[in-house]
Amino acid sequence: MTVWEKLRPYGMVAPSIVIFSMFFIYPIFYMIYLSFYDWNFISPTKTFVGLQNFKDLLLDEDFRKVLSNTTVYTLLTVTLTTVLSLLLALWLNRKGFFHAFVQGAIFSPHIISLVSISLLWSWLMDPEYGLLNWVIGLFGFDKLQWLSHPGTALVSLVIVAVWKGLGYNTLVFIAGLQSIPSDIFEAAALDQSKPWTTFRRIILPMLSPTIFFLVIINMIGSFQVFETIAIMTQGGPVNSTNTLVYYIYENGFRFFKIGYASAAGVILLAIVGALTIIYFRLLSSRVHYR
Amino acid sequence: MATIELINISKKYKDETIIADLNLTIKDGSFTVLVGPSGCGKSTTLRMIAGLEQITGGEIRIDGKRVNETAPGHRDVAMVFQNYALYPTMTVRGNIEFGLKNRGIAKRERDTLVADIAEIVGLAPLLDRKPQQLSGGQRQRVALARAMVKKPKVFILDEPLSNLDAKLRNQMRTELIQLHKRLGTTFVYVTHDQVEAMSMGDEIVVMNKGLIQQADSPMNLYYDPANLFTAQFIGTPAMNVLDTRDVSGLMLQSESTVSHIGFRPERAQIEAGQQLDGFRISGEVMTRESLGAENIYQIKAASGVFFVKTFLEPLYEAPALSVVVPYEQLYCFGPDGKRLAGVKVQERQLAMAGGV
Amino acid sequence: MKATKSGLLVETGDAALTRGMEGSRGNRISLIRAGRAALRVLNWLCMLLLVLVFALPFGWMISTSLKTMPETMIFPPEWIPKQPVWQNYADAWNTGPFLRYFMNSVIIAIGILICQALTIIPAAYAFARYQFIGSKLLFSVVMVTLMIPAQLIFLPVYLELSALKLLNTHLGLILPFASSAFGIFLLRQGFMQVPEELIEAARLDQAKEWKIIAKLMVPMVKPVLITFALFSFIAHWNDYFWPLVMTTNETARTLPLGIAKIREVEGVATWNTLMAGNLILVAPILVVFFFSQRHIIRAFVYSGVK
Repeated sequence: MTVWEKLRPYGMVAPSIVIFSMFFIYPIFYMIYLSFYDWNFISPTKTFVGLQNFKDLLLDEDFRKVLSNTTVYTLLTVTLTTVLSLLLALWLNRKGFFHAFVQGAIFSPHIISLVSISLLWSWLMDPEYGLLNWVIGLFGFDKLQWLSHPGTALVSLVIVAVWKGLGYNTLVFIAGLQSIPSDIFEAAALDQSKPWTTFRRIILPMLSPTIFFLVIINMIGSFQVFETIAIMTQGGPVNSTNTLVYYIYENGFRFFKIGYASAAGVILLAIVGALTIIYFRLLSSRVHYR
Repeated sequence: MATIELINISKKYKDETIIADLNLTIKDGSFTVLVGPSGCGKSTTLRMIAGLEQITGGEIRIDGKRVNETAPGHRDVAMVFQNYALYPTMTVRGNIEFGLKNRGIAKRERDTLVADIAEIVGLAPLLDRKPQQLSGGQRQRVALARAMVKKPKVFILDEPLSNLDAKLRNQMRTELIQLHKRLGTTFVYVTHDQVEAMSMGDEIVVMNKGLIQQADSPMNLYYDPANLFTAQFIGTPAMNVLDTRDVSGLMLQSESTVSHIGFRPERAQIEAGQQLDGFRISGEVMTRESLGAENIYQIKAASGVFFVKTFLEPLYEAPALSVVVPYEQLYCFGPDGKRLAGVKVQERQLAMAGGV
Repeated sequence: MKATKSGLLVETGDAALTRGMEGSRGNRISLIRAGRAALRVLNWLCMLLLVLVFALPFGWMISTSLKTMPETMIFPPEWIPKQPVWQNYADAWNTGPFLRYFMNSVIIAIGILICQALTIIPAAYAFARYQFIGSKLLFSVVMVTLMIPAQLIFLPVYLELSALKLLNTHLGLILPFASSAFGIFLLRQGFMQVPEELIEAARLDQAKEWKIIAKLMVPMVKPVLITFALFSFIAHWNDYFWPLVMTTNETARTLPLGIAKIREVEGVATWNTLMAGNLILVAPILVVFFFSQRHIIRAFVYSGVK
């Protein structure tokens, strides 16, 4: 092997590795470093404060609210999306033009900018003239305040997230269903398995890697929800929809509390990191049928 | 045209030795077949000749020139792969002329070369198709054309017929033999199928566990196997081998110990009424396979299970049969599996005295 | 079961009873048939309802974008505006430097795509096909990057770009995404699936390494490349978060930011203008989706699954 041949692979991966190091790996360490300092971005000096930022965070009423909002939002979104999309997948898992059309229709929100979706749903959820209030009116319900009321705002955001994510999740489930070899179903039919038993004992276990993948992906996604909040509620009313990334954004860019925001960022990093590690651990040990 | 010499070749993957100290000379213009069970090192040997596999030790010479350090493309070797390895993104023409382009051959010359070769292998109407649109036999021809067009010194073929159905395989077999005759180039051919090896090669190299068991002409391999492995590898059904300890009624005189005796199923004669001379063995018939012209019996005797093959004889229905093998058709092997030639002497009287 | 029962009755020869039984059996079958037909109709209705849940909001968007302001303030709402107001689109376009937004969006999304093609293909090939010391470590950098959402580290990256004087520049918005861990991961799988024999055949054909990559390997993974390109383009065309965070003025801002800003410029209640602007943003993507639905769905779904 010539020197050139030995160096070639390094040359080929170098551009990507440099970019990842500069914009992903280094920033993590920089963020952890910043979380130990008090800094307002403008002043030339950073003051080392140790774990003070983390202490402040945990004592901060707002931050606790933010954490609980994020958790509630994540749990609701993930549960609803997963259950509904699994049901839809079982229902829509058929070939043919019409089914392809329905699948395409429910998938369409996934490729649309979150800006558009947020604006559209702000309008749909308008308390005075919104379409949604008209629809629930058809069923005899009173007008709702949707995003403008602390009691309903977070759930309203969940509805938007589920609406956007449903199609993608359904199609992933359908892909998973189609990867189950059909002879298993034929064998089950010959064994006179009832539909529910087939679902419980065959479909669900065979789909478990897919379910797992989606749950984790959705959780990681939901934990960093930002766009809908920034456009639809700005964290309000009365902090009822303030979530982690939005909180970091506000503290960093509006209040210039860089160290404080970094500390919150480190906590979010820890949560997402833990989810990822759990995912890979479990993936390699348990849910595997293929 | 070229002679290929492999001198003290060895090949190791990490701690595992695939081939240790292999010496082989492949004669100029020969059709040499490397044959052996899977994992015997035949493909590795082939790939080392092509330069696709680095050698750990030794020297490879093509046409007298050391090629250890020569890149595969510069060894003047063309290869036909087991799965053809046609470039799926290129047309048939693109596949054939890729190597020519890389050698910097001008367009006009390329076109005539491609046209000529396409005519020879019968691909002319298919030149603008993609490999995916071709049948198995057609793909095989493209692979051949791609190798031939470079006019190499050595042709290397790695189980090229294994993906074809039986009928096409027979047809391609004869075509390859004819091709070799016409080109006169050295062919090195790898297969695990001994029938293929026997029918195609003029020189056969039997390999096992990284070692050459025997390198010889097909007839010599059949009539004069060097060891137990070759004896059992060549021929269908395989040579019957019995442990001498289980055999009674035979007297073996030899300078060294004879641990096994063997005989070919087609050399055993079924004793039906007439008295025959030779080693007699009888037992219960387990299965009968009637293939028309030939019948194969599986017989269970006290000394072991063996096969008998008869030609153009009636099928014997008796539950037990007695067969006789002429003494000169018995092969003797030593404890190390080596054939003990010349020293074998069968004493008829002693055998008679021993009784069966 | 039913068939054998009535069969037995026929044999008893009681014609009247047989007729009666057959009649009731016929009734039962027609009942079952009717039930099945009803079920099928119900199934279709449910599907229609499902499509409506996803189509109505878009219809509502189009309808609103063509209304006058007072028309948007009618409750219960009216679906068809009396006189379509195309002016809303011009109004939306004129709330800001939209030509610039549009150009920025194009420059950034295409710029990212070009950079990614240049960085991902060689990296994926090296990881798939070469053995080199440290390849595992370097690949773990890719995997870690794959796990880290950009949303998590925007603050330090902002500080970094600001130190590099790259805020409010196209380069600043392109550079962090000039390579993609996801792309490398995807393409590496593609390269690994190409049989080794093909490369060996090319080597025997005296092809140089770069030629093997350019003429043989890259065409082999074309479907994966298309998949990733669609994925990347849509993601960056739609992106709101990154340009929002990394810009402080209009120079490098993109279409999604411009649309979101209509609300601040025009006030909260001008839903007609807002929806018109929204449609400007959505329409191109929806049109593309309509024509290459299969590709796009595969890009998102199958690349996600594995």
